[in-house]
Amino acid sequence: MKNSRFLHLITMQLSGSILLLVCILMLPHPGVASETSFLDTIKEVDEPFDNRSVSQVQPVVQLTVLAKEKYQGGTFRVLARKQDIERYKCSSCHNAKEVLGKNAFELTHGNVVINHGQEGTALGCIDCHHPEDLDSLEDKKGRKIDFDHSYQLCGQCHFRQKRDWLGGAHGKRVSYWAGDRVVYNCTTCHDPHAPKFAKRFPATYSVPLN
Amino acid sequence: MSCNKTDQEKNILEDAQSETSSRRTFLKGMSIGAAAASAALVTGCVPGADAAASGELKLRWQEFFKKNYRLMTQEEKDQTVARLERLAALKNNQELQIGSEPPIPGVLYGYAFNITRCEGFMECVTACVKENNLDRKTNTQYIRIFEMEPGKLDPSTGDGQYYHEVPVENKFYMGTQCFHCENAPCTKACPTRATWREPDGIVVVDYDWCIGCRYCQAACPYYGRRFNWGDSEVPKEEITQKQHYLGNRKRPMGKMEKCTFCIQRTRKGKLPACVEACPTGSRVFGNLLDPDSEIRYVLKHKKVFRMKEELGTEPKFWYFID
Repeated sequence: MKNSRFLHLITMQLSGSILLLVCILMLPHPGVASETSFLDTIKEVDEPFDNRSVSQVQPVVQLTVLAKEKYQGGTFRVLARKQDIERYKCSSCHNAKEVLGKNAFELTHGNVVINHGQEGTALGCIDCHHPEDLDSLEDKKGRKIDFDHSYQLCGQCHFRQKRDWLGGAHGKRVSYWAGDRVVYNCTTCHDPHAPKFAKRFPATYSVPLN
Repeated sequence: MSCNKTDQEKNILEDAQSETSSRRTFLKGMSIGAAAASAALVTGCVPGADAAASGELKLRWQEFFKKNYRLMTQEEKDQTVARLERLAALKNNQELQIGSEPPIPGVLYGYAFNITRCEGFMECVTACVKENNLDRKTNTQYIRIFEMEPGKLDPSTGDGQYYHEVPVENKFYMGTQCFHCENAPCTKACPTRATWREPDGIVVVDYDWCIGCRYCQAACPYYGRRFNWGDSEVPKEEITQKQHYLGNRKRPMGKMEKCTFCIQRTRKGKLPACVEACPTGSRVFGNLLDPDSEIRYVLKHKKVFRMKEELGTEPKFWYFID
């Protein structure tokens, strides 16, 4: 009799403590709450979104070329550059033909101000331009590089920026987040002769909030 | 009773050119023309003399008694945007294209802002004002750019009203706007359920159900919401005509508004106006549910943080550094 009462007490205590334990476990814990985030469900999605399924996307109007590098294992396009270079092709002037002295001023590149690289290591023309074939660029390994694919040249020094640009953390897409990936060229934003953005006044100003 | 449609339309147009309407005239007209309006509702045909006023009245009547946008079927949504387009044509002689595009399946929008790259040119702000038909009179802006001291990451310590040549050495620039929280406090504060999170993650406002109590503005920890103290004024030639019901359509006086990630653009696959305008590429926008998207690349490979993350609001707007 006494024994069974003791047993009963033990089981009561045991079940009570189990109940308490369950209650504690079920309570929302602050540390746990911050760890479960909608980001976890996002990261579980590994099926690529069909970017062509967005029906209202129009083809980009600007001239583009297929990039010679890959983006996330797939191809992408970049804005073309050559059509924006005023006096391309360069070989129409840079050739064996003789030039009259009176045309010299017009034909030189007096408007080009080079402000690329730090003092002491500033770049000159042939650091990027091919010394013989003026219609191309040349990298430090002596490979010819097309003006439309200047990222191959810029990337040899600015490799971090190029890595980010390939991934999408540097530069930007043209007009659409969906559809086929078309991105800005290096030279769409940066003047290759003076790549740093000039100081200027902001486009507008802000008034205090209401 | 005349049912001549072309006559009726001509009358409506003539009247629209001569008369400007307001809530007061509307209510006044209601008491006088209530009988005419109900006749119009029943028969769909308006007595000749009151044709113009009643035509507009009928539209306003139907607009007044429409449902909350979330409860509408797609057909009802199409009807209301058609009415809004017609009313804009009648009242202000504007040719608008108001859309009601639904969210795209498999899309959750996310945004990232590069605080290393932003140089404070504020091109994003002007593009946003233009795209979203923001009130020019009170200079409403959804985006704010703060000039920040190095080492500080709280915009309240920065200068949000700078106007000098930028960038300034040893300062950085940080933009804020609505962060489209997954767990948005503003939507919980709304007593009329006029604001909610859409399935693609955009937090929107139904301007016709907003009562202007500004509870949501008080609830937002990011100062992401703006209030219309007056009727918004936009020069007619500057109005963006491509609009969305939940986006950049006209906000009447006493309504709340906010950034909608340019819903009228993004649901058609376009980038928001701020992203397209940014001259430095500091703004990254894309689909969080696409592992190949730019935004996912930033989240995976960059040092990112969110503002006031400890509040648990889960904003879908990240800051990152190069």
